[in-house]
Amino acid sequence: MRPNLRPWLKGPATAWRVAGSPVCRLLLLAVLWAVLPGVAAAQGPDAVDCQQCHGDREMFAADDSATARMFVPDSLLRETRHQKLRCADCHPEHASGFPHEASAKAVQCQSCHKQEGAEWAPSIHAANARTAGDAPNCVSCHGNHTVLGAADRRSPTHPLNLAAMCGRCHSDPRIIGTYFMAPSGAQARVAVAQYYETVHGNALTRDGLVVSATCNDCHGAHKILPAKSPESSVNHANIPKTCGTCHVGILESYEQSAHGKAIGNGAAGAKPAPVCTDCHSGHQIVRADQPKWFMGVVEECGTCHRRLYETYFTTYHGQVTKLGFGLTAKCSDCHTAHEIRPRTDPQSSVYPANLQRTCQRCHPAANANFVKYYSHGDSHERTRYPALYWASMGMNLLLAGVFGFFGIHTLLWMNRLAINHVRSRRAAKAPSEEKAP
Amino acid sequence: MSELLSVSNRGEGPYLRRFTVLDRTLHALVIVSFLGLVMTGAPLRFPFSGWAHTLSRLLGGFQTAGFVHRVCAIITFGYFAAHLAKVTVLLFRTTDKKSIFWGPNSMVPQPKDLRDVIQMFKWFFGRGPQPRFDRFSYMEKFDYLGVFWGVAIIGASGLMLWFPEFFARVLPGWAFNVATIVHGEEALLALGFIFTIHFFNVHLRPGKFPIDLVIFTGSATADYMKEEHPLEYERLQQAGRLAELETPAPSRQFYVWSLILGFTSLALGITMIVLVLWGALR
Repeated sequence: MRPNLRPWLKGPATAWRVAGSPVCRLLLLAVLWAVLPGVAAAQGPDAVDCQQCHGDREMFAADDSATARMFVPDSLLRETRHQKLRCADCHPEHASGFPHEASAKAVQCQSCHKQEGAEWAPSIHAANARTAGDAPNCVSCHGNHTVLGAADRRSPTHPLNLAAMCGRCHSDPRIIGTYFMAPSGAQARVAVAQYYETVHGNALTRDGLVVSATCNDCHGAHKILPAKSPESSVNHANIPKTCGTCHVGILESYEQSAHGKAIGNGAAGAKPAPVCTDCHSGHQIVRADQPKWFMGVVEECGTCHRRLYETYFTTYHGQVTKLGFGLTAKCSDCHTAHEIRPRTDPQSSVYPANLQRTCQRCHPAANANFVKYYSHGDSHERTRYPALYWASMGMNLLLAGVFGFFGIHTLLWMNRLAINHVRSRRAAKAPSEEKAP
Repeated sequence: MSELLSVSNRGEGPYLRRFTVLDRTLHALVIVSFLGLVMTGAPLRFPFSGWAHTLSRLLGGFQTAGFVHRVCAIITFGYFAAHLAKVTVLLFRTTDKKSIFWGPNSMVPQPKDLRDVIQMFKWFFGRGPQPRFDRFSYMEKFDYLGVFWGVAIIGASGLMLWFPEFFARVLPGWAFNVATIVHGEEALLALGFIFTIHFFNVHLRPGKFPIDLVIFTGSATADYMKEEHPLEYERLQQAGRLAELETPAPSRQFYVWSLILGFTSLALGITMIVLVLWGALR
């Protein structure tokens, strides 16, 4: 914890070895107990000493922020997680006390916070700090002298404050203009603003629920990587695991589904399968009973299952859904939301033997006949759905016949009336013209 | 001036009775229920059209629209039953039972109707005079039989879709797929026919434009009868039965209400056919 204490401990350690007998050691211990604070004061200034200057508002009253930052009153330090540290622990170059150099070196938090430092090092923030010098470091998020810890309600890293803190940069027009103007940055440009509208953001800001996911829960706190990085917690392949950290039961179901297995295989050239965010999105997560969501998810299924999507909309279920009403069956009502198994799987909700139970969720009296309904019937497929094909064909012929006959009938009638009209006008005119000359 | 809006009021009198109160009432029910069915049903058939979303919300959402659709279906079954009952009663009461199924007063298509169709096409091409119709032209018979067939087909398929669990006791599930296709296509046929062909033949063609209120007021002038149904007029004249059909002109108030119902129905129907064509062609 206090690496800079080692130098002055060396002296007494030698004395300890020299003082052989237990009695001598006890005596030495007593002496040490009495003089240690004095030794410490001699080796590096205590906060109390630094306060003599840095606690004096007058001394750092200049307007520029660099000077103002050096005003570190005792009250500021009293409640931090670092209250037991001494100034020189973080500012070792000032260990010699006053007078010291005018400018302090960058504080090396990772000298204690090794794991966090190691996580931050490969992050997109660290990379940008190295190349452009324009990225948040420890103090950007945690503060400098007032490190409170994420559990403290006043800390910028507290769940209720975190999104606003990330938004300081991620909603900043300068940052957006510099880093997120590529087409791939479309989502990042509005990420924070959209987050507040999601079910997660609402739970935090409206319901004050701190267990709801905020930025770091999905993106990580220190090892923040862009989604395209395979190591990123928000990489497509890692999304189920990330969301599953909280949604444990959903992850269990999903892993059993055709989609989950496809993602789980991870085999090169495997069919792409949807993960959580493909249906729920990342920053537009809405409740599943909202029209915006249930229409969106049908569209999402349709991006791969095109023919099933099109035929669904020829059924009453699909027609009502398309009109924006949520009561009739949508994809997930029959296929389940997360444990979507192929219809050949005996555990699938649409396995023939299970269909009756599935339909009965909405149609309590559904019998064996009832479930012979084609939820995705296609009247264009003569071999698979002959009844639909011929019914459709027959109706088309009937319509073509009736409209064909009466369409021609009507057009010819109008034509005849027009001819007769012109002729009668001419006939009425003719005698008067003869009389004129 | 408004008297002349309806072709049934134009020309010389006297006014002659053409439709009974029951016929007129049933036709008014056909209009109201059919427009209700079309407006609540068409959004389902064209859910990809913007107007379908607007219309379904205007009607109170799909559940309310579905409720209105079913109420209109009940009205439809009601007028269908009432008409069948009327024909049955006639069958028992009329001494000349054959006249219901054959002859100038019957709705059954007969050789004369085929001859009239051929004659009509000859006239279209300037090869002869316009056919002279009796009490019902072949177009009116087609309208009537179209409703007859349409109510049976749409009604049966609609009942299947209304009570699928009940009908699934005997029918396989795919019968409801067939019912969906038949119900939707037959409905398209019905509304397409009524809102274009029927509207043109009866109301909008030159000579009749803008409206023919005889089905509402029940009576028309002698001149109208000579023009539209000359054979019937002459037949009645020869039989000396014109006098018993003479009736007072419709009251001004009744006439104005008929105009309002007629024009409202025309406007709604034309609006719906435009929307449906828009939905079908997109």
